Amino acid sequence: MTNRDRISPDENEAQSQEQKLQSMISALWERSRHTVVERAARLRTAGDLLSDNRLDHATQQSAVDSAHKLAGVLGTFGLPRGTDLAREAEVLFGQPTPPGKVDIERLQVLLAELTTLIDRGPLGPS
Amino acid sequence: MELPKYRWDGKEALLQAYKPPQTCKLMTHRILIIDDEDDIRQVAAMSLETVAGWDVVLANSGKQGIERASTEQPDAILLDVMMPEMDGPTTLLKLKANGSTSHIPVLLLTAKVQGPDQRKFAEMGVKAILFKPFDPLTLARQISAALGWKEGG
Repeated sequence: MTNRDRISPDENEAQSQEQKLQSMISALWERSRHTVVERAARLRTAGDLLSDNRLDHATQQSAVDSAHKLAGVLGTFGLPRGTDLAREAEVLFGQPTPPGKVDIERLQVLLAELTTLIDRGPLGPS
Repeated sequence: MELPKYRWDGKEALLQAYKPPQTCKLMTHRILIIDDEDDIRQVAAMSLETVAGWDVVLANSGKQGIERASTEQPDAILLDVMMPEMDGPTTLLKLKANGSTSHIPVLLLTAKVQGPDQRKFAEMGVKAILFKPFDPLTLARQISAALGWKEGG
């Protein structure tokens, strides 16, 4: 083993802290998963209502809030793509005028991808 | 007599031997996290406690945060922007208006900040804006950097 191969005590401690933190965050993800899944389901329901032109203001606002919360938390749990999708959903649901056909189709696609991502869960550190 | 010539190449050897730690120990600080999201509060607390060894105090609303800030006297406050009942900016104004908390630096933690908001927050006395999602491994460093806290013993 050369000097370069050896891990210094500081590096060792850093790696140990990182592993400990990742392990704690993984455990927290498992405990929090149901909240994330519920929020994603709320988005899909709102998306379906929007497709049917039956989305009321309260449900729309709830969808914006859920998308905002998901955008804030998914990346921290190691799902940066989930944050991007949730941000896009927040914008699309938050438009002052009803979204057009293209936006509604885009919503359905991105919500499907978001659901798949959440079902799969974080595969590792972001 | 001609002196032997030495070429000091210790600098290169030192550079090769020294690898800075990836996670620096930071001075102990007490941080108050005000966020209505359980997940965010817990991840941020885990991050600051595990990576930096800081003390963390938690509050799940603006109202509770103001009370905790007054009693716990943290070194800094990490404040969520969008919260029900009392939002981040309103909480910030109350903290700044209270003599026992006005001196505590406040950093906003938000998932959504646009240009005009950033200017508004700066005018309200916010020290820095940190964005969600944050990296749990570097959150303490971001806070230290924003507040000019030195790393190390």
